[in-house]
Amino acid sequence: MPYKRKKYHVGDTHLKKRWRVRNRKKDLDQIDVDLQDDNAEKLLNQEVDLDRPGAAQHYCLHCARYFIDNHALLEHFKTKVHKRRLKALELEPYSIEDSERAAGYGNFKLPSKRKIVTQNSENTDITELEVDEESPNKKKKVEENAT
Amino acid sequence: MRIETCYFCSSRIYPGHGIQFVRNDCKIFRFCRSKCHAAFKKKKNPRKTKWTKAYRKTAGKELAIDPSFEFEKRRHVPVKYNRELWTKTIEAMKKVEEIRQRRSNNHIMQRLRKGREVEWQRDVREVQRDISLIRSPAAGLKQKQAEEDTEMEVEPETIQVIDAKGRKQVIEAPVMVPATGEMIEDGGDVVL
Repeated sequence: MPYKRKKYHVGDTHLKKRWRVRNRKKDLDQIDVDLQDDNAEKLLNQEVDLDRPGAAQHYCLHCARYFIDNHALLEHFKTKVHKRRLKALELEPYSIEDSERAAGYGNFKLPSKRKIVTQNSENTDITELEVDEESPNKKKKVEENAT
Repeated sequence: MRIETCYFCSSRIYPGHGIQFVRNDCKIFRFCRSKCHAAFKKKKNPRKTKWTKAYRKTAGKELAIDPSFEFEKRRHVPVKYNRELWTKTIEAMKKVEEIRQRRSNNHIMQRLRKGREVEWQRDVREVQRDISLIRSPAAGLKQKQAEEDTEMEVEPETIQVIDAKGRKQVIEAPVMVPATGEMIEDGGDVVL
């Protein structure tokens, strides 16, 4: 009498979890909304949330990801994943309204291209500028000391 | 009851067909069939998937911008029922559809015409490049050479002619050109 070969754990792989709806990551059009100034400010200055990686203090806007510390975040900015995401966001994302326009309800609108830069890249520029501004002052001071 | 449009391929979805996905920001994504739903789950871009309406319109394959598209639209404005308005709308719809059909057909024909022109130019270029396959560049060379040789042999003869008034004149004698050479030259040219 052969035993019944019980296939109770078929398809129980860890890989499946990633594709569950509850594990869905943000879509491009949602990120597009996040990129608006007021939303971006909120997301970049989040309250301490111990459930999130790095207590939600290091967030990449374009990739919608939390990082454990600033070093990891800065390293992430150099990766291909991040650069690819910037490239994907350059064109206006496709939306439900676009699908209706394509169906002939209203004129079709071609997506416009925008310039997308990594978050806080302007801030780093500012700090550099400040350094530059400081340095001539220092030079002046040095000159004053010399005189 | 309403005929919805598919998020991915922009086709019509009749009641009882397809599936819809409600994202956690309350946006409803409707799909006409599992093909479109699967493509959405794979995060494919409808603008870059060749079989969708969005692709065909962004790539200029179909008429995309035209005033005739402005009639049928989601307006979010309630309209009070009026029988006269209803009958007129129905008539207008037929007319608009007819005009739109004509314009989109025209657009496609214009697009194809351009392709035909390019094709024609390509053919011309091919013939010009490979004309040697039809007619050897050496064809008729021998006869020409022979002709030149005969011409070289025939030196311009001079004849002394005495006028009616008694003056002496030196005239070149007319050179006889063989008729066969002309025949070959005329027939050899290929008109493009």
